[in-house]
Amino acid sequence: MKEDFFLGNGAIALGLLEAGCQVLTSYPGTPSSEILPEAVRLIKSEKLDTYVEWSTNEKVALDNAYAAAITGKRSACCMKQVGLNVAADSLMSAAYIGTIGGLVIISCDDPGPHSSQTEQDTRLMARLAKVPVLDPSNPQEAREMVKTAFELSEKYSIPVILRPAIRVCHARQNLTWDKLQANRNPAAFKKDPRRWAATPKFRFLLHKDLNNKLKDISEEFNTLRPYNTHNLKSGMHFPLGIIAGGVPSSVIKDILDDHGRKDIPLLKIGAPYPFPDSLAMTFLQACDKVLVIEETDTLIEYCLRNRDNVLGRFSGHVPSEGELVAQKIEGILQTALDELALPSLNIDSQEDVQTLVNGLDLPVRKPTLCPGCMHRSVFYSIRKSRPKAIFTSDIGCYTLGLNLGSVDTVLDMGASITMASGFYHAYAQDGTEQPIVSTIGDSTFYHSGPAGLLNAVYNDARFVLVILDNMTTAMTGMQPTPSLGIRADGSKGKQIPLERLISGCGIDFIEVIDPYGMKDLRKTIKKAFAYVKDPDGGIAVIIARHPCIIAYRDLAVKNRKEISISDECIACNHCIDRFECPALYHDGEKDKTAINPALCIGCAVCVDVCPKGAIMAE
Amino acid sequence: MPSINFVLSGLGGQGILFMTKIIAKTALRRGYNIMGAETHGMAQRGGSVISHLRLGDVNSSLVKPGSAHFLLSLEENEAYRNLPFLAKNGHLYSDTALDIFPKDSVKAYLDKMAIQYDALPAGKIALDLGAPVSSNLAMIGFFAAFQEGSFTADDFRETIETISPERFKDINLLVFEKGLSTGTVARE
Repeated sequence: MKEDFFLGNGAIALGLLEAGCQVLTSYPGTPSSEILPEAVRLIKSEKLDTYVEWSTNEKVALDNAYAAAITGKRSACCMKQVGLNVAADSLMSAAYIGTIGGLVIISCDDPGPHSSQTEQDTRLMARLAKVPVLDPSNPQEAREMVKTAFELSEKYSIPVILRPAIRVCHARQNLTWDKLQANRNPAAFKKDPRRWAATPKFRFLLHKDLNNKLKDISEEFNTLRPYNTHNLKSGMHFPLGIIAGGVPSSVIKDILDDHGRKDIPLLKIGAPYPFPDSLAMTFLQACDKVLVIEETDTLIEYCLRNRDNVLGRFSGHVPSEGELVAQKIEGILQTALDELALPSLNIDSQEDVQTLVNGLDLPVRKPTLCPGCMHRSVFYSIRKSRPKAIFTSDIGCYTLGLNLGSVDTVLDMGASITMASGFYHAYAQDGTEQPIVSTIGDSTFYHSGPAGLLNAVYNDARFVLVILDNMTTAMTGMQPTPSLGIRADGSKGKQIPLERLISGCGIDFIEVIDPYGMKDLRKTIKKAFAYVKDPDGGIAVIIARHPCIIAYRDLAVKNRKEISISDECIACNHCIDRFECPALYHDGEKDKTAINPALCIGCAVCVDVCPKGAIMAE
Repeated sequence: MPSINFVLSGLGGQGILFMTKIIAKTALRRGYNIMGAETHGMAQRGGSVISHLRLGDVNSSLVKPGSAHFLLSLEENEAYRNLPFLAKNGHLYSDTALDIFPKDSVKAYLDKMAIQYDALPAGKIALDLGAPVSSNLAMIGFFAAFQEGSFTADDFRETIETISPERFKDINLLVFEKGLSTGTVARE
């Protein structure tokens, strides 16, 4: 027996391997990114033979895991909640056809949001696809739920979703564990085209089967302890009860414990869909009023058949946006208690201290590109070259090009390219020549760039596309991309160079450049725009390639320079506002720009930025 | 065992997560159950980093404002930013580059709440020992001097020896000891 301090995502990885998961696929995205690397760590230390892959996107990940599952193997795929949108096509269909071996889809939610473009609730995707969903309240429960999910999946021949929220994924908890055994269940696909390639006529029948499965699972969820359970005392009636799921259920437990409130019963719903209807009805009947606390949307509240006595989002008691942190839940509960004239919680007000802190004028620390980041050079250069261009961008660290005024739009993965072509045609229709510069990272391009680029080339859109190739998937923790030829377990894979892929999309203008040389980059941008305007030209692609400063620290800045500011500095703040390197700051005493040596990494790119030539490198 | 709540704060790159790990592993050997919460992803690129650590039998991972027994901050402004987490009678440990800590307006609040405060130049200690990114170890040493929650310097030393990567072990211990002696003086 070993004990360790597991990250929630590590606990999920442990649960997967304890359950004998044989195939694990993923595309990285906060807060899901560490599940696969944690699994790789355990696979290596325990000498298992589980197949793992970083897939090129979430749909690809789900399709791969699905195929393995219908050979009878236990398979899983992991992604962030918006990744499940990309995989939705597979999910909807897989729900109808069902599975043989257990198939668990782990989709990690981000209430807040802390690191996502939406706060969407994966439980509602489960409802849409008609598949069961489990909603863990802490890492240990997530680990146990993985096993339950595999069992349910095999029992009912249905994909099952595990929906850990960020406070499970990035929580840490001590867990004990034993030696892990390899699962050697062989692949045995049995042909049955009527099922695996079902036509609409059979889809109708499969849909009917699916609906019947859901009825049975809902029945099972009524008594699925300890995930779905309450602490009502039989025969007793309560003025107020609470229904909570997932992370908020653990927060509620601590709040009730802290305040010693044994007079408020709790129904915890960790398996919310298909909805445990009769369990919820029992609870509703034992309470005059019921407060529903769930993240992030209204699955439980929506599924309650009678909402006359329910306090929640529909009644305006619970906010419909944002994370339900403890102090917020405490406030909601307090309001409910006050309205019902029940004993108060005695919460210490935080108003005074918050007013004090707000009055201290503490430095605002907004998200910023790292000192020495190659993206900064690119964004500075494109804005300087074409200040009036529309800048379409994408999902990754480089979204922070916002700070340099070189990001106008961020919609979803790959939209830098599809929106660039969309903008082009919208202006071209009016006969207007609107310059457009699209920026996308290397991993994001592999994820969903090529389809949009093919479309743009085919339909003769004209724009400059800059691929920000920092040779890694930086934002999510340095996962390898297909251009490196390194696979998820560190083994060698086939390298697929960006140049080859882009050329295959029909692009004839491809220039590769190191963006640390900003003068050359500006020349290349000029050349690219000439090509874009040329009637015989087309879309110009610049690959700006320089290693990520975090992933390749020494390689990224080979010759570190000592940076200083000369007396020529007139404190115009051009470097601070436009180049926005965290190592540059305004020294109020000297009224000049200064360098923070603890942050500066000596890349010397800023030397080219100062209009007075006051930034010196030695 | 009653629960003990820590909030650890600072800036990206200061090793807040490693500092959390040292306290957690030390507590684990003492038989505590542990819950913690970390910052990852886009939120991490912002500069401010915060880590929550709860020792004892608790269900949720975040420390509620007003309930942290200890706030350990590797940067003075981040210490102020996270003041609302501290409970009455809590203890604030902060890095400071200045001779005067805390600011007057903050001092009045800390006194009102009976919050103890102690500061050390953790960044300077680490820099002087040639390890500018090891202020986290100086802070752990400083904290160890106060023997909070019955944790002794030996407990922390053992954890640092066990979990430090081999090439950083000596320097980590060196910075820890300097933080410890600074703390011992501050305590007296």
